[in-house]
Amino acid sequence: MVNKKNIKVLTKKVSVFYGDKQAIKDVNLEIFENQVTSLIGPSGCGKSTFLRCINRMNDTIDICRITGKVLIDNDDIYKATLDPVLLRARVGMVFQKPNPFPKSIFDNVAYGPQIHGLTNSKEELEDLVVRSLQKAGLFNEVKDRMNEPGTSLSGGQQQRLCIARAIAVSPEIILMDEPCSALDPIATAVIEELIDELMQNYTIVIVTHSMQQAARVSQQTAYFHMGNLIEFGETSKIFQNPKNKQTQDYITGRIG
Amino acid sequence: MNKNTRIIAKSLKKRNRSESTFRLMGLLGIISAISFLVIILFSIINEGKKAFVSTQIKLDIFFDSKILDPGNSGKITEIENANYQTLIKASLLNFFPDVKTRNDQRDLLSMISSSEQENLMRTLTNDISLMNTKKEFWLKSSSKYDVINKNPEMIDFAEEDRLISNQQLFWFNELKKDNRVKFGFNKIFFTAADSTEPEQAGIWGSVMGSFFTLFVTLLLSFPIAVAAGVFLEELAPKNRFTHFIEVNINNLAAVPSIIFGLLGLAIFLNVMHLPRSAPLVGGMVLALMTLPTIIIATRASLKAVPPSIREAAIGMGATKMQTVTHHVLPLSMPGISTGTIIGMSQALGESAPLLMIGMVAFIVDVPESFLDSSTVLPVQIYLWKSTAARGFVELTAAGVLVLLTFLILMNSFAVIIRKKFEKKW
Ligand SMILES: Nc1ncnc2c1ncn2[C@@H]1O[C@H](COP(=O)(O)OP(=O)(O)OP(=O)(O)O)[C@@H](O)[C@H]1O
Ligand SMILES: [Mg+2]
Repeated sequence: MVNKKNIKVLTKKVSVFYGDKQAIKDVNLEIFENQVTSLIGPSGCGKSTFLRCINRMNDTIDICRITGKVLIDNDDIYKATLDPVLLRARVGMVFQKPNPFPKSIFDNVAYGPQIHGLTNSKEELEDLVVRSLQKAGLFNEVKDRMNEPGTSLSGGQQQRLCIARAIAVSPEIILMDEPCSALDPIATAVIEELIDELMQNYTIVIVTHSMQQAARVSQQTAYFHMGNLIEFGETSKIFQNPKNKQTQDYITGRIG
Repeated sequence: MNKNTRIIAKSLKKRNRSESTFRLMGLLGIISAISFLVIILFSIINEGKKAFVSTQIKLDIFFDSKILDPGNSGKITEIENANYQTLIKASLLNFFPDVKTRNDQRDLLSMISSSEQENLMRTLTNDISLMNTKKEFWLKSSSKYDVINKNPEMIDFAEEDRLISNQQLFWFNELKKDNRVKFGFNKIFFTAADSTEPEQAGIWGSVMGSFFTLFVTLLLSFPIAVAAGVFLEELAPKNRFTHFIEVNINNLAAVPSIIFGLLGLAIFLNVMHLPRSAPLVGGMVLALMTLPTIIIATRASLKAVPPSIREAAIGMGATKMQTVTHHVLPLSMPGISTGTIIGMSQALGESAPLLMIGMVAFIVDVPESFLDSSTVLPVQIYLWKSTAARGFVELTAAGVLVLLTFLILMNSFAVIIRKKFEKKW
């Protein structure tokens, strides 16, 4: 475990507006390299919105406007010279509902490397696909059915396929928006284990509704309420001894 | 039973009654719709099938060199321009030696379609060794005899109401008694274009006209409409301007087709000076008409692609264009193609706008290019329907059958595509 914590993502007074409605209010947050940061809070508090600022996914929503600064490695990702396409290759995303492309398992994982031209030969690509599936812990289950559609897998397998797809382009950061909410407890446990492993190489930000999950997988936790960042700190401290009354109410189940 | 239960039970009777009334009405509606359809189809098929055969008369033709090549030159041009009518006449007179007056002979000769003279000429020039030999031919009768032969009830009509005189009927019956009359496959109908003589008119000219026209329509409307649909649905910002365009595209789909014809007349013919009656212009006009249909279908099928697919692609770092071309468009292709085929079959059945740009002309040659004057199937049907000669009645019905066949084929193709590529998320 790294002792000295490197700040990977830094947000400075980030506010997000949907039309006139403010969904995120002046959030300052540090996300550390090779750690798992979980975002928790009641439904509608802006966790997904905040997460989507980090890979500029909000750009695709016409009415969405963002102010403040988001820095990755001290570099403003909203500056005009930065192409969001490049950013999204560096910041991968896994969505709440598994969304594999309706293509073969192989093509799903190969898609990122292909569009970005990351490999030079077919063998190299095949190799990369296999390694990504291995890292996502899915390879043994699908090695005989690489040409079957990704949608034919079970929900948990689909979600791991999406993770494999995301890590195939070797991102630095992986954003996960409630990746286990559509999965049963066993599939969830598999993904949580996977997150633990991925942490070695990636910086992970995860939105979750499950306190236990946040406690299990993350080192840092941020508690959001109505668009405000209420409390942020080491997971163990937040859960054992929250400074803020609202945070305490939430984790003990009184709000949410 | 408590009070509420009693109230409900009371109203239930009434509610059930209204349901069964509604059912009955619906059933009646469907039954009447189906019976109308059956009646229409039955009468069209009944009438139309007659045009697929034609009356043929067996004659022994003697290729007399004294008639065909009196100078004995042996030159093919001489033989090509000879009078083959005389051969037919000679053969008929051989069978009816009593016919003496000029008028009677002319009446007798009118039994055989004038198109057969050219056929005899071709047979002979292809095989010149037939000269001075006798050969048996099944020659096409002229339309009047064909009509009588197909509609035997007309034999009992008074002479002036019948298409042929008593004398002609007598001759025809004599030939029949000698087993010299039969129905043969009417090949002309499937190979020729329009003609003033019903027995020489065919549907092929207008089939080709429709083909060239629809080809232009497809070539123009499909790419433009898909591009427009993709732009509006995937790329354009949702603002007042794009909303305005959307509303107007939907309105365009409801514009009477003849308006597009007028537009075509004003712009394609009067301003751009493109040729009249040409499939190129017809196709352009129909493309205008088909555009909104395909745009609407495109947008509907793009909308049906779940946003999660777009998010997945964008999240992987695909550009908007890559997202569309790699994922969204392929997934919506079945829907787009079905919409396109339906738009095409609408265009195939359209006649009004084409009348405006002169595709209503009488065309005797099968069109061979996009610039040849031509007509299209529905217009051909219209033309035949409005021709007085009795022989066109069956042709009209047969034309409708051909058109219906194409429409049914296209629509079943659309259904097959939809069934085959239907995606479940
Ligand atoms: N596309 C959008 N357009 C308009 N408003 C939006 C949009 N997406 C989110 N919002 C609003 O922004 C606020 C925050 O939404 P967000 O999805 O970030 O919440 P969340 O914390 O992820 O909730 P949940 O836990 O239910 O997923 C909500 O009030 C929501 O209504
Ligand atoms: Mg959310």
